[in-house]
Amino acid sequence: MAVSISLVVNGEAHKVDVEPWWSLAYVLREKLGLTGTKIMCNNGACGSCTVLLNGQPVSSCLKLAVLAEGQNITTIEGLADTETGKLRPLQEAFIKYSGMQCGTCTAGMILTAKALLDENPTPTEDDVREALAGNLCRCGNYKRIVQCVLAAAEATRGGV
Amino acid sequence: MPNEFSVLGKSLPRKDALEKVTGEVKFVADMQLPRMLHAKFLRSPYAHAMITKIDTSRAEALRGVKCVLTHENTPNVHPLGKFEYLLDHRVHHAGEEVAAVAAETEDIAKEALKLIDVKYEVEPAVFDAEEAMKPDAPLVHREYGTNMYYGTEHGHAASPSPRWRKDGWLPLQVGDVDKGFAEADYIVEGVYESPIQCNCSPIPRSVVCQWAGDNLTCWADTQIPQWVSKDLAKCLGIPRSSIRVICNWPVGGYGSKQPEKIATLTAIMAKKTGRPVKAVFTREEEFVATHHRPNYKGYEKIGVKKDGTITAMSHRVIGNFGRDFVWGPEVMSASAAATCGTLYMYQNMKFEGAAVMTNIPDAGAMNGLGDPEMGFIVERVMDEAAEAIGMDPVEFRLKNCARYGSRSISRRDVLGLSPDELELRPDWINWGIVGPDFDSLQECIKRVRDKSEWKKKWKGWRTPVEVNGTKRRGIGIAIGMHMSAYRPYSAIVKTNQDGSVIVMSMAAEIGQGIRTAMAQVVAETLGINYEDVEVLLADTAATPEGWGVIASGGTSSAIPAAWHAAQEVRRQVFNIAVGRLGVKPDELEAKDGRIYVKDDPPQSISFREACLRGYQITGAYVNPNPDDLRDEKTGKTINTYACVATIAEVEVDTETGKLDVLRITSAHDCGRAINPQIVENQIDMGLVQSNGYARAEELIIDKDTGVVLNPDLLDYKLMTILDMPKMDDMQEIVVERPSAWGAFGSKGFSETGATSGAPAIANAVYNAIGVRVRGEHITPAAILEALGE
Repeated sequence: MAVSISLVVNGEAHKVDVEPWWSLAYVLREKLGLTGTKIMCNNGACGSCTVLLNGQPVSSCLKLAVLAEGQNITTIEGLADTETGKLRPLQEAFIKYSGMQCGTCTAGMILTAKALLDENPTPTEDDVREALAGNLCRCGNYKRIVQCVLAAAEATRGGV
Repeated sequence: MPNEFSVLGKSLPRKDALEKVTGEVKFVADMQLPRMLHAKFLRSPYAHAMITKIDTSRAEALRGVKCVLTHENTPNVHPLGKFEYLLDHRVHHAGEEVAAVAAETEDIAKEALKLIDVKYEVEPAVFDAEEAMKPDAPLVHREYGTNMYYGTEHGHAASPSPRWRKDGWLPLQVGDVDKGFAEADYIVEGVYESPIQCNCSPIPRSVVCQWAGDNLTCWADTQIPQWVSKDLAKCLGIPRSSIRVICNWPVGGYGSKQPEKIATLTAIMAKKTGRPVKAVFTREEEFVATHHRPNYKGYEKIGVKKDGTITAMSHRVIGNFGRDFVWGPEVMSASAAATCGTLYMYQNMKFEGAAVMTNIPDAGAMNGLGDPEMGFIVERVMDEAAEAIGMDPVEFRLKNCARYGSRSISRRDVLGLSPDELELRPDWINWGIVGPDFDSLQECIKRVRDKSEWKKKWKGWRTPVEVNGTKRRGIGIAIGMHMSAYRPYSAIVKTNQDGSVIVMSMAAEIGQGIRTAMAQVVAETLGINYEDVEVLLADTAATPEGWGVIASGGTSSAIPAAWHAAQEVRRQVFNIAVGRLGVKPDELEAKDGRIYVKDDPPQSISFREACLRGYQITGAYVNPNPDDLRDEKTGKTINTYACVATIAEVEVDTETGKLDVLRITSAHDCGRAINPQIVENQIDMGLVQSNGYARAEELIIDKDTGVVLNPDLLDYKLMTILDMPKMDDMQEIVVERPSAWGAFGSKGFSETGATSGAPAIANAVYNAIGVRVRGEHITPAAILEALGE
């Protein structure tokens, strides 16, 4: 039987009726229309559907929506400044250095990297690789993605 | 080379970058339409069986189910030249579609699948290609009479082959191999294998179909929209003008994005229900019900002289193409043409290839079509040949590799698509040459040699680069090539009165960056800003004809058409400017958004003003037939190819078999880099995928049942970021030897990267451990087995 839950997504509270077996990824995409969260493997192997749950990256395909009740969720749509639309340094860097090819892994990469930079603003290449080890990119854009994250870290430090 | 351009050759931000970093990008799987139904498919648990009874009454009675299709209520048509019907009374591999359901929600559709009762009569099945070739083997499609393709039109609709032998072998020969082997000082002979590799498109196959009266709109995640349109028309019996296939945001498919069959089933369900229907495969379906790279077994023999001359080489290659070899002729002929027929200059060569059907999922196109399969085999053989004569493997390749003027053949000429010519001269084969740009193969080899410090690291045969306890370091080289297909393709470029420009092309943006590259080429040609050009792609009702993005043809065929169409626009703009400036058109140039008189720059009008005066200026262009590409010097046909050389450095732990790839240096010729950053990204794609090909990606098919045992991304291993070398140890070298046909000398090169990574790793592993691995994988298990552990 469907249950009614409240989700705080990108700072906005939503009431949603969900089935208990629905994943958070499914609810974000199908019920809230937030299709920036992409589902690649649907079993926690690829990191594409990563969202931030209270600032921590989680695979939203493995998280039941009912277990996210009341928690703070950030999706890729909520990353840019909601008022001004100004992009985050990570987004800017991914644009500048071509951090994406087909675009399926991009949201998960950026959100995972955001969690890293929030915790460690001065990561080394190894830190970035370690943080992104659970995010698959079938287009093989790994090198460029590391470059983007390091550039974003630097831009953030420089107050850009 | 110095960059004399304003827009071209610059790493401008991708046209699709903003929507991809904000999550606004919409794939077909993301679409929602009012009243949309959701489709799911019931699949066979058996590899070969007759459906004796199918009862859908319980499924149909489930609330929310709107349509159930089985072979009993679906037209008996063959999608895209396949043997099986859309839904067949017989299933030919575990995972084949048995029924389709459309329901109000995905949950209901899934539930309905469980309520369909199917009775199967299981029949004998065959999974191994060589088993399937035996006279008493079970037939995958009994109406064909054999499991081996023999050149009839039952294969890929586009490629019936008059040249294929009726005994099931595709022959290609040059010179006399017996004579060549007799002249050799050494002969290397062996059996080599390359594995199945799954395309693993990031988003599984997806379509949405919606009817308005007799007109169908199909949003399809495909790289070849006109094939989808063609197949829908054939299966539904309606003209292509009534069908609009839109694929504005297909996902990377690496050759697999061919959703014809589910597009047709979805269209039928949409028609029956009068509602839009969406079908998105699960990850498991993506593994079992789309196609993958075939596995090859090659019986190889090479003869070499002490001075390094290759006297002869023969290949007898068997490809396992699974349930239906629609792609068999394409893939096998590509292997014959490029890696076997062109890559090396040996004068005596014999190729025989068999495309075999078995009861496993289909094989087909994947990144590099035929060349990674064959390259993984041939480049290991070459290494053994160089070792036999004690020659440095880099020098061996430099001596023997193809160069300007060396003989070459195209995939199309291998198949012999011209029955008329063939009737007149049955033995005639159109051997052409590779063009002047192909001298870059030697340049690629030299540049990877120098950049990787090969001369310092290579200690000679049977000597690892370094030994440190159980850890041994090795270095290896491989070269490769792939078609850079130049074919008929059309484009339209039109101006708006504000001076902005729209380009229309059938090419699809699948992540390779064609939307960006095409805009850069058109902006450069018209002398306007990159921001003022937008590109409309892959819509069969709105964009002119073209064959999608396959065979690295985006840059080689689609962009040249757009380039020429832009030149036509420029010609018309100049004609307008002539009226204002009072000079001849050839005295003008387009730059910085203005039309200048070359010798008198203050005299100019803006591009915008010309557009305003022109109302709407439109340029259209269709590429000529590729047969028109002739070498100026020799008059011979030029075959359009791109090339690569890769050096890999590895460390192997002989105790555990663990393999680390420490460094990869890879040089690619892209003719001219339209956007250098995107060029490097495409190189990396090939390198990462070919690492997976050699080291990790292993589709496990049960030998008794034919069932895929690891259809998910936990158990089918893709390369992660940690499996790849660090930034400074991934060295992409971009070589720019302008092509004769591409826009500003550019050419398609993106698939070439997939060809040489795997064999370079294999050869480096040999250098490290001193034992050859000739089998499908260079995994820790394979390494330990080779070491006799």
